[in-house]
Amino acid sequence: MIASVPALGRRLAPHALPLAMLVIIIAFAVSEPAFLKPDNLIGIVRQVAITGIMAVGMTFVIMTGGIDLSVGPVLALSGVIALFSLDAGVPLPLSIVAGLSVGLVVGLLNGFIVARLELPPIIVTLAMLSMVRGSALLIGGPDLHPIRGHEAYAAIGSGDFLGLPISVHLFAAVTVLMVLVQKLTPLGLLVAAIGENERAARLSGHRTRLTKMALYAICGVGAAIAGIVQSSQVHTASAVYGEFGTELDVIASVVLGGTSLMGGNGSIARTILGVMFLGIINNGMNILNVPIDIQLIAKGVIIAVSLALSEWRA
Amino acid sequence: MTARSAAFALLAFFVATFIFFCVAAPRFATASNMENLMSGFSFVAILAIGQSFPILLRGIDLSVGAIVALAGMIVFDLELIFHLPGWLILPIALVAATLAGALNGWLVVKLKLQPFIATLATLAAYRGLVYSISGRQLVPGLSTTPIRDPWITGLETYFDFGSLLGISDWVTLPWVPLSFFIMLVVLAAFHFLLGSTRFGRSLYTVGGNPEAARLAGIDTARVTLAGYAVSGFCAGLAAILLVARLTTATEALGTGMEMSAIAAAVIGGVSLSGGIGSVVGPVIGAFLLGTILIGLTLLGISQYVQQILTGAILVAAVGYDRILDLRRRRRLVANLAEETHA
Repeated sequence: MIASVPALGRRLAPHALPLAMLVIIIAFAVSEPAFLKPDNLIGIVRQVAITGIMAVGMTFVIMTGGIDLSVGPVLALSGVIALFSLDAGVPLPLSIVAGLSVGLVVGLLNGFIVARLELPPIIVTLAMLSMVRGSALLIGGPDLHPIRGHEAYAAIGSGDFLGLPISVHLFAAVTVLMVLVQKLTPLGLLVAAIGENERAARLSGHRTRLTKMALYAICGVGAAIAGIVQSSQVHTASAVYGEFGTELDVIASVVLGGTSLMGGNGSIARTILGVMFLGIINNGMNILNVPIDIQLIAKGVIIAVSLALSEWRA
Repeated sequence: MTARSAAFALLAFFVATFIFFCVAAPRFATASNMENLMSGFSFVAILAIGQSFPILLRGIDLSVGAIVALAGMIVFDLELIFHLPGWLILPIALVAATLAGALNGWLVVKLKLQPFIATLATLAAYRGLVYSISGRQLVPGLSTTPIRDPWITGLETYFDFGSLLGISDWVTLPWVPLSFFIMLVVLAAFHFLLGSTRFGRSLYTVGGNPEAARLAGIDTARVTLAGYAVSGFCAGLAAILLVARLTTATEALGTGMEMSAIAAAVIGGVSLSGGIGSVVGPVIGAFLLGTILIGLTLLGISQYVQQILTGAILVAAVGYDRILDLRRRRRLVANLAEETHA
C-alpha cells in the first residue's frame, strides 16, 4: 500500500494540471454557484482571449529554448498604429494589416538578432521591450486615444457572432490554426527538433536559423493581433497598454501548459489548458471577492506548486 | 586575462561616454549633477552587484524589484505603526530581504524550478505581500507621514570634501552621498568574497559547470541558496537607501528595477551562461547607464528616445560580450591545435 502511493503519484503527475483545474473548478462552483453559469464561462474565455492569443504564439518560441519579453509593448504599438491609420482615413483591412505588420517587423528583428547573431533571447527581447515601448510612446504619447466612429473596428473586440464574442472566435481560430501547424506541418516537427538539439537539427540540413526567425515573427504577429483585439475591446488605444507583467502572464500560461523553458517539449493544445487555468483562477478569485494582494500571492504560489509537481514526475 | 581586458574596455567606454557628455551636454560637468549621478545610481549599482550572483550561477533573479518594495514596506510599518527604533528596524528589514532571496534559492534548489519561473512566481507573491502589509492602507492617514527616525534619514547624508580639504574656495567639488560609500563597501566586501574565499571559488565552479562542481564535492545546493540570498540582501540594502532618500515607502517601490539591475550586470560583463564575471563590472555598468540617461536628459532628448537608446545599448553590450566569447574560443582552439602539433 505504501509502495503504491509514489507509483500512483507518478501515474497522475502528467495529468496534474487538468486535475488541479478540476479541483479548483469544483471548489469555486461549490462556494459560488454563479461561477458555473454559461455567461460567466464565456466571460472567462473572453477575458483570457488576449493573453491566450499571445501564449499560442509564444509556445513555439519557448519550445526552441527561447523567450519573447517584448510582447507587451508590441501589443500597445499595434493598437496605436491601427487606430492612427483608421483616423488617417486608411480603410479598415489595411489599418489592421498596418497594426499586424508592427508585430511582424519586431518579431523578425528579434529572430534575426537571436538566430543570426546568436545573442541570448532573454536580453535581446528585454532590449526590444524597451525600444518598442519607447517607439510607441514617441508615436502615441502617454495619453489614451479614444476610438470614435469606427464601428467595424470596435466590433472586433466587443461584437458578437453566433452568440459568442468575436474575440473568442478569433482566439479559437488562432488556436486551431497553430494546433494544425504543429500536428500536420514539417514546421511543428522542426520546432521540437530545434528545442531538443539545435546543433543536430542544423547538421541534418534543416534551416534552423530561418525557422527561428519565422517563430519569433509568429510570436510578434500574435502579440499584434492581441493588441488589435484589446484596443477594440476597450475602445481606446494607448502606448502604455500591455504594461510590465503582461509578458510574464503569457509566459506563465505557456510554462503551466507543460512547455519547458529549456526547450524541446511543448504543445499548443496544452498551452490553452495553462491559459484557462490562470483565467479560471483569476475569475474565481474575483467572483469570491478575494482582495488583490491575496490574489497575487495565490497566483505566485499556484504557479510554483504546479510546476514543482510536474518536475517531481521527471 | 581576457576578462580583465574586457573590464578595461568597459572602463574605457565609460570614461569616453563621460567625457563626451561633459563636453556635449550643458550642466553635465557640474558638482550638483555629479551628486545626482552618485545618489541616483548607487542603489542601482548595489542591485547590480546582487544580481551578479544568480547570473554567475546561470540563473536570474526577477524578484529584486518586489523585494525592494517588501523591505521598504517593512521599514515603513515598523517605523510608523510599531514605532521601533531605527537601529532595530534596519537589521530586521535586511534579514527579511535576505530570507526572501533565500526562498528564491530554495525554490530553485529544492523544488528544482527554473530560476526564471521561480523568481517570476515570487515577483508576484512578494508584490502581493507588500500590498497586504501596506501600512498606507492598514492605517489611514499614514501615507502622508514622513519617516523621521535619524537612523534611517541619516543614511541620506552628504559629505562635503571640498571644505574639509579647504579647497572649496578654488573648485566646487560635489558633495558625496553616504549611499555611494555604502555601495563601495558592498563592492569591496563581495569582491573579496568572490575573489578570495572558498565560497567564491565554489560559486564560479557551480556556475561554470554544476555537474563537475557536484562531482568535485561542492555542496551546490548550499552555494546556490547563498547566491540568491546575496541578491535578496542587496535588494534590502537598496530599499533602505531608497526609503531614506524618499522618507517614505510605496507599494510600487522598485517596479521594473530588475531590468536595470540585469542590464547593468550584463553590460558589466557577467555572462548569462554562468561562471564568468565580477562585481566590479556591474558597478561600472550601473554608472554607465546612469551617465547615459542623465546625459541624454540634459541634452534635452526625449525620455522616449532614451528608452530606445537604452535597449540599443543593451543589445550592443551583449553583442560585444558575444564577440569576446567567440574570440576566446577561437584562441582556445588555436592553442589546442598548436599543442597537438608540437
